[in-house]
Amino acid sequence: MRKKSKWLALLLVLGLVLAACGDGEGGDTTTTAVAEEPTTTAGEEEMTTTTAAGEEPAEIATDVGVDLEAGTITIGLLSDLSGPFSPLVQVIVAGHEMYWAKVNADGGINGLTVQVETRDTEYDTPTHVQRYEELKGEVVAFGHSTGSPQTIAINADLQADGILAVPLTWYSGWSDPAINANLVPHGVPYCIESMNMIEYLTQQAPDAATIAIATDEGDYGEDSSAGAMIVAEALGLEVAYDGTARINARDEATLAEVASGITGSDADLVWVTTNSVAFGAIYGQAFAAGFSGALWSGAGPSWSPALVAPDSVISEPLSNDFYVSAYYAPWAADSPGNQEVRELVEAAGAPPLDFYAEGVIEAKIMEQALRAAYDAGDMTQAGVLAAAKSLETVAFDGLAPDETYVGEPNDRVQRAQFISRPDPAGLADGTSTGVTLIESMYTSPLGASFEFTETCFSLS
Amino acid sequence: MRGRPLLHTSYEADQALLNTTAKRVMLGIFLLILVSIPFQIVPGLKFLGEDDWLRLLATTAIFSVGALGLNILIGLAGQVSLGHSFFMGVGAYTAVWLGGSVDGPLIGLGLPIWIWLPAAGVVAAVVGLLIGPTAVRVRGLYLGIVTLGLVFIGEYVFRNWDSLTGGGQIGRDFPPLQLRIWKEAEPIVDLTSPGSWLGVDISGNGKTFLVLTIGTVVFALLAKNLQRTRVGRALMSIRDRDVAAEIMGVDEFRYKMVAFGISSFYAGVAGALLASFVRRESPEGWDLFLSVEFIAIILIGGAGTVTGALLGSAFIVLLPRVVEDFTHWLRAIAVDGDGIFAAIANLFVATSSTDFGLVNAIAGVGPGLSVAQLNLVIYGLLIIGFLIFEPLGLYGIWLRVRNYWKGWPFTY
Repeated sequence: MRKKSKWLALLLVLGLVLAACGDGEGGDTTTTAVAEEPTTTAGEEEMTTTTAAGEEPAEIATDVGVDLEAGTITIGLLSDLSGPFSPLVQVIVAGHEMYWAKVNADGGINGLTVQVETRDTEYDTPTHVQRYEELKGEVVAFGHSTGSPQTIAINADLQADGILAVPLTWYSGWSDPAINANLVPHGVPYCIESMNMIEYLTQQAPDAATIAIATDEGDYGEDSSAGAMIVAEALGLEVAYDGTARINARDEATLAEVASGITGSDADLVWVTTNSVAFGAIYGQAFAAGFSGALWSGAGPSWSPALVAPDSVISEPLSNDFYVSAYYAPWAADSPGNQEVRELVEAAGAPPLDFYAEGVIEAKIMEQALRAAYDAGDMTQAGVLAAAKSLETVAFDGLAPDETYVGEPNDRVQRAQFISRPDPAGLADGTSTGVTLIESMYTSPLGASFEFTETCFSLS
Repeated sequence: MRGRPLLHTSYEADQALLNTTAKRVMLGIFLLILVSIPFQIVPGLKFLGEDDWLRLLATTAIFSVGALGLNILIGLAGQVSLGHSFFMGVGAYTAVWLGGSVDGPLIGLGLPIWIWLPAAGVVAAVVGLLIGPTAVRVRGLYLGIVTLGLVFIGEYVFRNWDSLTGGGQIGRDFPPLQLRIWKEAEPIVDLTSPGSWLGVDISGNGKTFLVLTIGTVVFALLAKNLQRTRVGRALMSIRDRDVAAEIMGVDEFRYKMVAFGISSFYAGVAGALLASFVRRESPEGWDLFLSVEFIAIILIGGAGTVTGALLGSAFIVLLPRVVEDFTHWLRAIAVDGDGIFAAIANLFVATSSTDFGLVNAIAGVGPGLSVAQLNLVIYGLLIIGFLIFEPLGLYGIWLRVRNYWKGWPFTY
């Protein structure tokens, strides 16, 4: 027994010595945002002089994800393909692939074809981190990263590894320079969306004096509430019911509680931010309890065309009461960008859905970044990041408002959005995706004048 | 005597954990191989040294610690417990209370790892001791329900205690795996960033893997040793027939509390390590599914044995990755190959949205199951299969193989 414990003690001491010996002196604690070479067998470091598909020779620096000899660029997608947002994200991923297929057919990025590597993160943070680790040695940038807590979890790694990612969420923190060194957001953040929409509602109902607010727990709901509170105070609306972070979409009891809170508040305006199924349940319960006469709205994901499907009980009252908020133009909108999306989707033989636009928007941002990186001669991960962060204008031809990634946060945060009304008739006969656009590139006065310097709601 | 490894001539030899030369040699070789993995020396196993595999292996080590704890409770003491994820959560939130960053709106004292890691275990153990007495009143399925209730109580408390946990869906950052003496700015040992040990370059994940492997070896040794001590024998007698044990003089109350306490200590440490390794976790992470995963590990690996807990952890943690790689391999055959194999592969795998297949090769595209769903299906099938055909789990399979070759060629 004594002999064995001696060996064990020796082993442990050896372990400690090993650990201390290495990192002690000098130390290489690269905790700051230094671009680090990922240790992997997939990527190679090369400075190559190459003729890219017969064009004039250029010296393009590459490290990971760009193979000049094979003529390929690899983009990664961290997508929720089996979790709560999978129906939307699958369509968004399809939108990416359609757009890149078209770009590749038109000659790619100066002759380099773009490949998309999608990984299912299941909307689970450890899985998201694991997928990031898997892809970071294979891709030059991330075309999207689904989920705010998940994107925050990899944010420190993105900064340490020097890789670009496009967040697939509209949390206002992505416009905050303290957080977004490696992120290029798009679309109006939840908090400014609330300001735009609620002020718009007061213009539709000038006598409105009270508002009921109910949102999901988490960044999505609380960022949205933060904006709603700001606009309520600015416009002098009384918050008759405050259900911030009271909604838990998996817990029916919270939906009933919120519905009764709204009904009892007798408010003139209602702002509910959650997913569409929970929203339908809350609206339905309030309606059944006799609540009526108010105008309803909520953050973009609260809406789904299924709410006004022909077999939906709430279809008629909802189409009178509800205003749909969106970050990009709906399917049937009349703009060159929308026309492009329609052509892509019809060519692929897929049914009309609004979400393809989101995939195309993300892909366009990445395309601009890649082209700028190519022109600058630096297609390393760090080069693509720098190129993206220096884009002055990314235009979407009317599909979405222009984005810019240079300048003061207050100047470049996105403030414009789209407003629609539900269109059950159009959905029933297939002429629309369930909405009719009424305001394009809209910003309310408060949304335009709001001083944005940091995130509306802190995630930690 | 040489050639007669199971003939023991002393008490120490009889009680030895590694009682045959073969066991000692094999364990030594295995540990050497494990240590060499981050340095990618062994041919054929070099792929394990890549960052994503190192993360999986480090996760296996953490799950092993938790599984060892649950094995002491289920395998050794025979108490059914579905509440393992609750104790892991308690450990993780104790760790973040003590070790979490002082800045920011959430609770955190910024203390170093040598305080918060043991404290995570101790606090979880104390909570386990409080639960222990319920095991005296109920047993079997009913104890399972009681511990199940713990999981839901835990979920509710964690979700509503925003100042500690960050609140539902949001979560918070956990203290990183770095060694400091007190609250200095630069850690002495930093497992999260790459560096060089003894002159050899190693990535952050590699360092974490090595340190966690050493930790797991220590915990496994302690768990294995428990079996041959007085406490271990008492727990085993309670497992076999607790009423008879009580009559014989084994204090049921005390030993059931001890079982819960020790198992919760392991769970607390595992929870703290898991949260720190993943860096950010929300209260939803400590849910029933995590508990079920541990039950699956114990059942598939083999209840009651340390080797079984380790085998089960490796199996469950690595299975999703193996299934995914296998799917990709099948897809490559279906798309690029020809002949009968390609046809069979095509049947299993859906290569596009219009191709028939059981599993979608490309994420999100196709009529079949996603890889994540396939994993869940395989999980369930494995648990059922092992319970019916091999109750001793993977360890049982290993025993059969070993005994076959021991008696070869006289296998009858």
